[in-house]
Amino acid sequence: MEQTPTAARARALTKVYGAGAAQVRALDAVDVDVERGRYTAVMGPSGSGKSTLMHCLAGLDSVTSGDVWLGEVELSRLADRELTRLRRDAVGFVFQSFNLLPTLTALENITLPIDIAGRRPDPAWLDVVIDTVGLRDRLRHRPSELSGGQQQRVACARALASRPQIVFADEPTGNLDSRSSAEVLGFLRRSVAEFGQTIVMVTHDPVAAAYADRVLFLADGQVVGELREPTPERVRERLAATDPASV
Amino acid sequence: MLRTSLRSLAQHRLRLALTVVAVVAGVGFVTGTYLFTDSLQRAFDRLFDLRQPDVTVSRQLPGQAATGGAAGGAERTLPAALVDRIAKVPGVAAAYGVVTDGSATVMTAGGEPLARLGQRTTGTSWVPNPRLRGYDLVSGRAPIGRGEVALLASTAARAGVTVGGTVRVDTPGGVIEPTVVGLVERPIAGTDGGTLVVFDLPTARRLLLEGRAQVTSVVVAAAPGIDQQRLADRITDVLPPDARAETGRSRSADLAARLQDAFTFLSTFLLAFAGIALLVAGFLIYNTFTMLVAARTRELALLRAVGASRGQVRRAVLVEAAAVGTVAAGLGLVAGIGVSGLLRRLFEAFGVDLPGGPLVVEPRTIAVALVVGVVTTVASAYLPARRAALVPPVAAMREELELPARSLRGRTLLALLLVVAAVVLARTGLQLVDDVERAAAYLGGSAVCALVALLAGAPLVGRGALRVLGAPLTRWPVGRLARENARRNPRRTAATAAALAIGLAVMSAVAVIAASTKSSVAEVVDDTVGADFIVASANLRPFTPRAYEALAGTPGTSVVTFSRAVALTLDGTQHPVIGVEPEQFAKVFKITMAQGSFADLAFGGAVVDETTAREAHLQLGQTAHVEFLNGPGRLRIDGIYQASGAAQGFVVTLPTLAAAGSLERDTAIYVRLAPGADAATVRTALEQRLAPVGAFQVLDRTELKEQIDAQFDRVFGFVYALLALAVIVAFLGIVNTLALSVHERRREIGLLRAVGTSRHQLRVMVVLESVLVAVLGGVVGILLGVLYGALLQRVLAAQGVSTLSVPVAQLGWFVAVSAAGGLLAALWPAMTAARMNLLRAIATE
Ligand SMILES: Nc1ncnc2c1ncn2[C@@H]1O[C@H](COP(=O)(O)OP(=O)(O)OP(=O)(O)O)[C@@H](O)[C@H]1O
Ligand SMILES: [Mg+2]
Repeated sequence: MEQTPTAARARALTKVYGAGAAQVRALDAVDVDVERGRYTAVMGPSGSGKSTLMHCLAGLDSVTSGDVWLGEVELSRLADRELTRLRRDAVGFVFQSFNLLPTLTALENITLPIDIAGRRPDPAWLDVVIDTVGLRDRLRHRPSELSGGQQQRVACARALASRPQIVFADEPTGNLDSRSSAEVLGFLRRSVAEFGQTIVMVTHDPVAAAYADRVLFLADGQVVGELREPTPERVRERLAATDPASV
Repeated sequence: MLRTSLRSLAQHRLRLALTVVAVVAGVGFVTGTYLFTDSLQRAFDRLFDLRQPDVTVSRQLPGQAATGGAAGGAERTLPAALVDRIAKVPGVAAAYGVVTDGSATVMTAGGEPLARLGQRTTGTSWVPNPRLRGYDLVSGRAPIGRGEVALLASTAARAGVTVGGTVRVDTPGGVIEPTVVGLVERPIAGTDGGTLVVFDLPTARRLLLEGRAQVTSVVVAAAPGIDQQRLADRITDVLPPDARAETGRSRSADLAARLQDAFTFLSTFLLAFAGIALLVAGFLIYNTFTMLVAARTRELALLRAVGASRGQVRRAVLVEAAAVGTVAAGLGLVAGIGVSGLLRRLFEAFGVDLPGGPLVVEPRTIAVALVVGVVTTVASAYLPARRAALVPPVAAMREELELPARSLRGRTLLALLLVVAAVVLARTGLQLVDDVERAAAYLGGSAVCALVALLAGAPLVGRGALRVLGAPLTRWPVGRLARENARRNPRRTAATAAALAIGLAVMSAVAVIAASTKSSVAEVVDDTVGADFIVASANLRPFTPRAYEALAGTPGTSVVTFSRAVALTLDGTQHPVIGVEPEQFAKVFKITMAQGSFADLAFGGAVVDETTAREAHLQLGQTAHVEFLNGPGRLRIDGIYQASGAAQGFVVTLPTLAAAGSLERDTAIYVRLAPGADAATVRTALEQRLAPVGAFQVLDRTELKEQIDAQFDRVFGFVYALLALAVIVAFLGIVNTLALSVHERRREIGLLRAVGTSRHQLRVMVVLESVLVAVLGGVVGILLGVLYGALLQRVLAAQGVSTLSVPVAQLGWFVAVSAAGGLLAALWPAMTAARMNLLRAIATE
């Protein structure tokens, strides 16, 4: 596939929840470009629209107005069936919690999207992914037998196993202690560095954000700033500037 | 706390709806049964209560029970002169002789009997006094002379005639085609399903009594102010010893008592099915509550965390259950009305027309609805409530919640004990060769133990069974998910499948018995019937010798003979008596003698089957003192034959039967082909000769078997239809379980959607899980049913069910129906799962 500079793109993206007095403008004419092969973090106060932005970019949610492209594909034109296929083949997800099906083993969870697509996993790639997350000895375990950090690593492995164009992670370390967080974030960082994976990650943690190549700041449904080559200190400074309450 | 309970109810509409559905289904079936039988009984009561002559005189031997229903019949007659004698008794306002017999068959235009098998085909004579007849003239006039009849309005409607038209009626006195001059109706809506044709008295006598100067009963109206009993006593004084005068009151009371017996049986029978449905519904309710409590663990834990005591949590759940139970019981009562209508339809579909009447809601029915609804609900909620109270407060904070799992050890022990009990009971039952009823009771007890053992043990073996049964599913990517979903909560799956298993176990046992009965009958027919053709009247009622006379000597036949059947009473038990021409009969029917020789059968003697001989303590050469219909008589035991399904009771010669005062009515004619004769040609000849005599059927052995099979099929079909209701409740249970499971797993479903599972795949997943559970229930139930069907066959072997036959194809159908039912049950939950909003599913909690 021809390399395009952006893996995902939004123009004048607006998302409104509810109607009348209860109306919430979660995203207000947002323009975003997610660079291919880069690690992008999204930060902002609670309720600023981070999750909404991710869901819209990933085709999990419909937009009120504006356009979203995932690679070359314009999402608003797609029917549910095509969106499903797109999510299956081109997108990987890591949620804050409840990422794994309790009935499946770690390995089965990792290959779930591939199984559902009715394809066979690429064994070499699967090996690489499993070794990268470092869970080879835990593959036969069920999620209930894994720690929270291990579970999130399994979720990351699943997101990468089908070689998606882009991986979205919504506060993947939100429930983890700093050591487990470091494991997960390190793994995501490596997948960008070593395999050229594109990742978009929502986080509240400046340390987590510092793993990224670039940080987008959201407030009240709008992009209010951007930081390249972040360090925890610079992120903190920036947050303090946009929303003093959040630090 | 109460407020929390009620609010929690109001907030969870799905939960509420599913529980209510479960309770309503269970209560509806039980109350429907009560409503149905109560209303029917009331209708019958009124049917017979409405109008009775003040006194009815009929022939009755001193030792015999009261006749109850239609007085008399051609076999019990009184001299016509008695009517005048009774009319002269002081206090008698009017007395009329009546001729009534069940042998006037109204035919359709196509020449088929209008009444179905087992329905009454009554012919009666017109009684001028409206107080003395059990019907009212609603149009036209009374019949006069040979060419006129009145018909019951429903009979006329079914025959497609109106006043002025003609109708064909087959009677012992010949086939007639009179004009319908009037329509009558019984004074209550509905019919007893049979047909009624009214002649004038001379015509009735000519057609039904071969013209003899006799009546079958005398109906009497009392003069004003005369007490029924006083009048009956006076009339008794002028009666011969074998006639009896009954008051209208006592006839009503007799009838009521007999109906009571019949209805106790019917409602016990129906309640047994209701019990099965209730058991199934109990599972449904229990399951629903367990799931609800599981779904609410966090909420309950939160209550505990903010200071609610265990008792309070338990009470909260129980209060909720009681509230749901009460509301649902009320709805169930309403549903019961629907069920009772359904039962009526069912009876009608199987050819039983029932009298109509208002719906009778006894206080007892309401009480049962409430008790069943509230008690099952609260009892089903109790165990989950106890477990709910054990939820530690910290569970509220935890991410993944599981109720404290109970150990399966208690269950294992219980299951083992029950299996042992089941085996012991079954063995004891099988050794009781002589006492079928007790043997069957033991087997029933054993079956119940086995079922409960199954329920207790199901979670233990269910996972393994599901693994094997579900193996084919793993070919689909979502198939494995479906299988694991079914296996993840073995208790729940077991309880859901068990509900279906109970229904199918009973159905399969019935199927095995049905098949065994049919193949046993086939075997008996092949073994014993040597006739090439058997002739019987179209509605299997006895017929006059004119049929035999028409057939005797038909070219191409070597033997034409017939049998007649009456009944005798020996030590208070009724036995059939069959009159035959021994030499001829031996050529068309194989009777294997155990003692004596069939050829020795002579006037005044009888051969009797071994079972009857044993039960009545009869020995070869002994003389038995018996009661024939017309009085006491003696039979010398000339031989004892081996019991077989085809012949039973006393076999005598025709002169013996005639001497006992029996009417000349044949039950069947047996025809044997002459060597080299063409069967089809002979059949045509037989049919041509029978045509002028009446409606007959000529059956070869295969057709005979088919006809017997068809009769069994009707009986068993009825039982299946009743059981189907229980099975439907079980499928409702699957719907319930799935709907709740889908609700519980909405986050998983959201996740699956997020990683690219299509709506279609989700639907398939839910459907496969459902089909898997249904097939599990079906297969287990069928295996159990076949086992007990086979055991029951061994118990019934002495009763003529001598061969075991397992209807494999039919059982295959049961499995297919289970699978199809599972599929249907999954449609709605599957749709809910597929429609679920992805983001909301992920975001919840
Ligand atoms: N389904 C919904 N219906 C109505 N309003 C919603 C819905 N989802 C989100 N919102 C609103 O949209 C706004 C943005 O929500 P969003 O979940 O994107 O915030 P966020 O930045 O991810 O916050 P957090 O850091 O707390 O996760 C919020 O005001 C929220 O209340
Ligand atoms: Mg968010």
